[in-house]
Amino acid sequence: MKITDACVYSYPVGDSSVRRLALEAHMCGFDSIVVADAPAANIHGIDVIPGIFLTGIPAREVQARVKKSKGSSAIVSVRAGDNGFNRAIVGTAGVHILRDISCADKKAFDHVAAKMAADNTTAIDINLFPLIFGRGHFRQKAIHRYIDLMVLYRRFEFPITISSSAQSVLGLRTVREVTGLCSLFGMDEIDVEKALAGVSRVTAAEDMAVKVIR
Amino acid sequence: MSVRPPTLREKRRYLLARIDPSGTNPEAKDLYYAVYEAVVSLFGDMSAAAMQPSVIAVEGEHALLRCRRGAEREFVIALSTLTTCRDAPVALRVLAISGTIESLRERVTAIQAPAPKKEDAAPSTLQFDVAPIEVVQWYGHKVDVLEKGFKNTRRLFLTTEDLEIIHATTISDGL
Repeated sequence: MKITDACVYSYPVGDSSVRRLALEAHMCGFDSIVVADAPAANIHGIDVIPGIFLTGIPAREVQARVKKSKGSSAIVSVRAGDNGFNRAIVGTAGVHILRDISCADKKAFDHVAAKMAADNTTAIDINLFPLIFGRGHFRQKAIHRYIDLMVLYRRFEFPITISSSAQSVLGLRTVREVTGLCSLFGMDEIDVEKALAGVSRVTAAEDMAVKVIR
Repeated sequence: MSVRPPTLREKRRYLLARIDPSGTNPEAKDLYYAVYEAVVSLFGDMSAAAMQPSVIAVEGEHALLRCRRGAEREFVIALSTLTTCRDAPVALRVLAISGTIESLRERVTAIQAPAPKKEDAAPSTLQFDVAPIEVVQWYGHKVDVLEKGFKNTRRLFLTTEDLEIIHATTISDGL
């Protein structure tokens, strides 16, 4: 299982090159990073996984984009919307991660969506950006959403990923810091370990010819 | 007020943190305000009072911080939410926690990297993504540069492989 940061942005969106992000991620204790619109590579022992981040488009168009990206090694992440949208997305084959739950409505991710995510091995992303850079209401809202998400996670055990959404090397956090930040909403070390390996889990599920039911 | 005997004093823990990006060198007072803001905004006034966060010294690229014993875990979490110091983006990377300042100072001298080579090591005319750049810090593989321009002076974090010397025939690999 590889320890992966599920979302980082390189230059020109951010201020750091992919190579520098990989170098710093290696020092932070990661094995791989998902970088938006970057080619797959191995830099300084870090696997750079290309990421496709879809934001603000309807579910039908998401399905069309997913079809286009089939066959590539890219991780497809879709930004969460309302409840209906989220249910449609977690039920879409080829979507790996539903992200930015912290910005979505309180009822946007419920037990039905959680069950669907578990059945389809679609990961729900915990974005640490609001915890690191947010202050006041923005951060409080994110912590509240993640506490709520953990309740559903304990019940349905859908995959979870953790991302820093770093746009700079200064936004990256070490694995120990990530563990500390996740403890704010009740994740223990074992949960964090599993979540950091979440990207491997969702990609491995896709490769399996036969679905193993336990 | 007289100094308490050692057995009655509060036990404290000392933290050694690296200040990123290198070359920022903030003043200890400014860093203290940034640290205190990070602690208060995350844990509130009550916890901040119990934690007693403090910045003892800033020595080059490292900061020596202090908190009450037993609160170091929360303090490290709060430090990971520190993002700016006097409007300049910074990150504190905690390297060690100790019961004495002395051991941390020894560690600082042990890990103190040789001074980064700036102008002499870097070729004079470099470019990144077609734009000319100016090297700010150059240490090992890492190169911090400033975009040259009238308005755009943002700091970019690159590696030596990212840089292209002007007029050289290099083919980009798309990264």
